[in-house]
Amino acid sequence: MPDGQHTDTESNQALAGVKVLDFMWAMAGPGSTRILADYGATVVRVESTTRFDAVRMVGPFQNKQPGPNNSGLFNNLNTGKLPITLNLSKPEAGQVIRDLVRWADVVTESFSPKAMRAWGFDYESLKKIKPDIIMLSTCLMGQTGPHANFAGFGNLAAAVSGFFDPTGWPDRAPAGPFGAYTDYIAPWYNAASILAALEHKHQTGKGQHIDLAQAEAALHFLAPFLLDQSANGRTQTRMGNRDLNFAPHGVYQAAGDDRWVAIGVESDDQWRALCQVMNRSDLGRDERFATVKGRLANQDELDKAINEWTSQHGPYDAEDKLQAQHVPASAVETMLEQYEDKQLQHRGHFVDLDHPDFGKTTVEASRFKFSRTPAQIRGTAPTLGRENQNVLKNILGYNEDKITELVVAEVLE
Amino acid sequence: MLSPYRVLDLTTERGLLCGQILADLGADVIKVEPPGGSSARKLGPFYQDQDEAENSLYWWAYNRNKRAITLDITTTEGQEILRRLAKSVHFLVESENPGTLAKYALSYGDLAQENPGLIYVSITPFGQDGPKASYADSDLIILACSGPLVLTGDEDRPPVRLSVPQGYLHASAAAAPAALIALYESHRSNKGQHIDISAQQAAAQASQSSILCAPLHEADVRRMAGGAKMGPLAIRLLWPAKDGHVSIAFLFGSAFAHFTKRLMDWIYEEGGCDKEVQEMDWVGMGGLLFSNDPKTVEDYERLKLIVEDFTQSRTKEELFRNARERGLLLAPVTTIEEVTHSEQLESRDYWTSVNHEELGKAFRYPGPFAKFSERPITYRRRPPRIGEHNAEVYTELGMSDQEVTELQNKGII
Repeated sequence: MPDGQHTDTESNQALAGVKVLDFMWAMAGPGSTRILADYGATVVRVESTTRFDAVRMVGPFQNKQPGPNNSGLFNNLNTGKLPITLNLSKPEAGQVIRDLVRWADVVTESFSPKAMRAWGFDYESLKKIKPDIIMLSTCLMGQTGPHANFAGFGNLAAAVSGFFDPTGWPDRAPAGPFGAYTDYIAPWYNAASILAALEHKHQTGKGQHIDLAQAEAALHFLAPFLLDQSANGRTQTRMGNRDLNFAPHGVYQAAGDDRWVAIGVESDDQWRALCQVMNRSDLGRDERFATVKGRLANQDELDKAINEWTSQHGPYDAEDKLQAQHVPASAVETMLEQYEDKQLQHRGHFVDLDHPDFGKTTVEASRFKFSRTPAQIRGTAPTLGRENQNVLKNILGYNEDKITELVVAEVLE
Repeated sequence: MLSPYRVLDLTTERGLLCGQILADLGADVIKVEPPGGSSARKLGPFYQDQDEAENSLYWWAYNRNKRAITLDITTTEGQEILRRLAKSVHFLVESENPGTLAKYALSYGDLAQENPGLIYVSITPFGQDGPKASYADSDLIILACSGPLVLTGDEDRPPVRLSVPQGYLHASAAAAPAALIALYESHRSNKGQHIDISAQQAAAQASQSSILCAPLHEADVRRMAGGAKMGPLAIRLLWPAKDGHVSIAFLFGSAFAHFTKRLMDWIYEEGGCDKEVQEMDWVGMGGLLFSNDPKTVEDYERLKLIVEDFTQSRTKEELFRNARERGLLLAPVTTIEEVTHSEQLESRDYWTSVNHEELGKAFRYPGPFAKFSERPITYRRRPPRIGEHNAEVYTELGMSDQEVTELQNKGII
């Protein structure tokens, strides 16, 4: 059965019947609608072969082979959606879009603010086509303001909203968080916003427009530092791995080349247990370190002692010995080792998908588990234009002649 | 939008953000704290550095719009009261170690018997089951085994985290859309369910799918100051400016080429590179770079130096102004203080004043995470003081003033 139609199991999914027309691209947007697709929403995702999603050319790639259908990142963000290709510069494409808007409950887009207006698909125009439509517009800086049209990726939103400066070592330039950091925060807020708007429509029958600036939502992940600035006038910055409230707290050298173990002690009991595991009862008895206040004041000395012990142990050996005594500790897992992480394996975090060129590929599972209506990953990689026929025929009810006309007019490209 | 719904928020610092997102969206969120206050109130920074429960800026950051009661759920009487409360709520959010609430007969199964519509959300480090389910945890532990840590930092120092703890923020933000998916479903089934959130799986989103390197047979990804190492490739995102740093998505391929061309055009105009460099094939370079073509990798290294020479002789403001005018993927690295003075955030009225009447002062908080056209988010209540709404909430439960006083005397509330 084509993906556009619901099987019996699909109709039991939590979001069965929710229809999303998705113009979003890159990471933050697609990460949001992936959550909806996992739980049964029908997400029709519009792209163009002439200018496809940038993320299709960002790794990791299946078998190290760059190509628009081979990006593990793209597949991970878009699995379960119905990918169609439309050349929006063709007038006939506008008609297809209008039909899809009539079908949809929710329209999502993550272009810079002027783009949707230029195509005639801004909220006011969509509302004329479908009065109760819900539209989510999400871009880096928001739909208004002097920087509204500043386009870009999450590394830029992370830089401009203060995420780089507090990441790294105090005696060096900021290291910055990995990659496009705010792109990993925004999906939670985008998805919550769409669902809240669906709830509002359930109560009142009304749609609405949501303006979600990636930078503004993400700032809530810096809120304690922002409040320190506004309430105390103090500017917090990077402090390595140290913590305002806990010590010892760090990433320590383990035996092996570039191997590390993270330890974050949050109580006096954990501190004494750490000393016991390290055979350093002298430290455990030392009055200076008995309270967190004392430990915070003597971190260099503590870190030195811990490094001496950890450097004699492999990262997983250190983790096992410390966790056996309830000390918060973990090997710093490499990206390759994460696939072997016993907990992620137990939770079924890695899911195989069919892939037309490689036989199979792998994506991540939903990040939460529902007891009654679990996520279902629909099993084929979202290759370019894979669902053109399905969407036009089964969702829009176009006949063969009409579809052929669109093909001939080069609209489906 | 969520004003018809009531939420019991039993979380510690691991899960406060979930309830706050629901409260911002209009739900009546009742924060349940042990007598004496939540452990989150012990987390600094503190207002005026006064280490007291009502002054924790961490508490302020994640509890606005909630009401607060105290209740000792380790006593049988306290458990009985919680069961009564749970009969009349739509959501319960908790973040205890797996099995803890079951000991008090407050598990999902226990409460759903009386309230089958209850949506019960559990936020834990590793999920409810599996080999690490009972691990001792802290923020660093989550980051060590979900990806962000190994990907972040200077190559010659230990992996490093963002100085505001991020692991549980991902988990508790993820919990909000999860709860709302279950709400949508409950309109059809009249049933609630249990939602099991793992911080490890939620924070893994911040690996930008690098977690899939092993199953995709890709090269490992490793930390690098201001960028990342993808196999032998050193992808650089951070550049020096005259007065700090800027982040540039200096990338190639069809999606990035036009941005990179505009940057190189500007550098050429200002005499920073020759014609041959300006006219390089920025589209083709993407694929070649990711296939580790030796000549392209060499070119990339040379280009990085050209860009560096150019940026380090200009101020952040000059670079960002040109980025906006010319459409470049470039943004300044801002300090926390600079964020609070952003002209963009100012023009969107982002910062929201919250009055703390007992301190005789209002404070600027990070503003609504999105702008909703139908029901804008408002900040109705400052973060609650310990037990501030005991009388109000317990009276709503049908208790007499006398009963409330008795419970107070016994230390249960």
